[in-house]
Amino acid sequence: MTDARPTPDDEVLKHYREHATGEPPSHLDAFLLAAAQREAPVQQPGLWKRWVQACQKPRWQVAFASLVGVALMLALVQRTEEQPPSYDFAPAPKASAPVAKKEASSSVARSLAAPAGAMSAPAPAAPMADFAAPAQSESISAEMADEAKVSKRLAIAPATFIDDQLREVIRLQKAGQAQAAADLMATLNKRFPKENLTARLKDLQKN
Amino acid sequence: MSAPESSDESLLARYRAGDGPAFEILYARHRQGLYRFLLGLSGKSELAEEVYQDTWLSLIRSTSQPQGRANFRTWLYQIARNRLIDHWRKHGIHNPLHDSYDEQIHALSDDAADPEQLLSLSRDSQRLEAALQNLPADQREVFLLRAHGDLDLPQIATLTETPLETVKSRLRYAQQKLRRLLAEEVLT
Repeated sequence: MTDARPTPDDEVLKHYREHATGEPPSHLDAFLLAAAQREAPVQQPGLWKRWVQACQKPRWQVAFASLVGVALMLALVQRTEEQPPSYDFAPAPKASAPVAKKEASSSVARSLAAPAGAMSAPAPAAPMADFAAPAQSESISAEMADEAKVSKRLAIAPATFIDDQLREVIRLQKAGQAQAAADLMATLNKRFPKENLTARLKDLQKN
Repeated sequence: MSAPESSDESLLARYRAGDGPAFEILYARHRQGLYRFLLGLSGKSELAEEVYQDTWLSLIRSTSQPQGRANFRTWLYQIARNRLIDHWRKHGIHNPLHDSYDEQIHALSDDAADPEQLLSLSRDSQRLEAALQNLPADQREVFLLRAHGDLDLPQIATLTETPLETVKSRLRYAQQKLRRLLAEEVLT
């Protein structure tokens, strides 16, 4: 520190360093080290480590397990609610939308849009929504159904559905609503171009 | 972990951050020097132990760090010195470190000392201690800080708030006197 060359005075320092005695008692060492350990600031672990530690504690394990269980139940419930209704003859609401718009107040349009499964019900009293699906899913179904699906469903519609519609035509004709009957017939021809609706209508009139 | 290579300041910082074992390294480094400094300055083992304990507990419980140019070692010995002075003041004991001392009066000529005499310095612990206690308190303090605290002279000057030249002369006189006292003990 002072001079690089050792002096007699430095020898005294060295002599004292080498031969001086005196040690802190061992009990004092133990006390101080224990105090230091006890009062050491708590080391903050990282976020991941804290998460892992929390997961290892039983009460948090129960909490996490409960949370996961509830989440699974909610997911299952939601999934069940989102499943489309499995009505056999549920029509595609969107397909009937143009007709419904054009003749919203007309029972003819309602009759056309009515499902085959509802054929026994009178047309005016059987609006589409009443039979097609629950009220809750009606609007959802209407928005989600695509044209291809509609066409497919209509194509496979049973003959009884067509007959039913043709009977409605006959009823309208008998009731003097020739225009409505013609409109319905035109609509049916448009929907089922491969069917010989005129011949079937005549057959039904004969019967 | 390369414990011996870590500085005192970094060990203290690690301890403050929650690294308990860092304190053990720090304590092992300074326990002996600090205790011998206090023992030599107070002259009583009970008092030395009390102040020693207070000093370390103060360090453990404090959140402060060495400030400015002070390093850990200076800071630690400063705390210990202040604790000892507080103890003297609390118990109405006159603080010998505040005595104004005429260095020249106690600076006896040491021209007779030779290398042979240096080799025959007493190694008896009681004589070493007695010679130390024979020194004026301010000279003893500087000598102890240099011998056991391993502080350099500017650090001692800062710690004791004494001019550097005064520290140098105190150390020189202390060493001369000790050499003479220990040599005399052996020769007689």
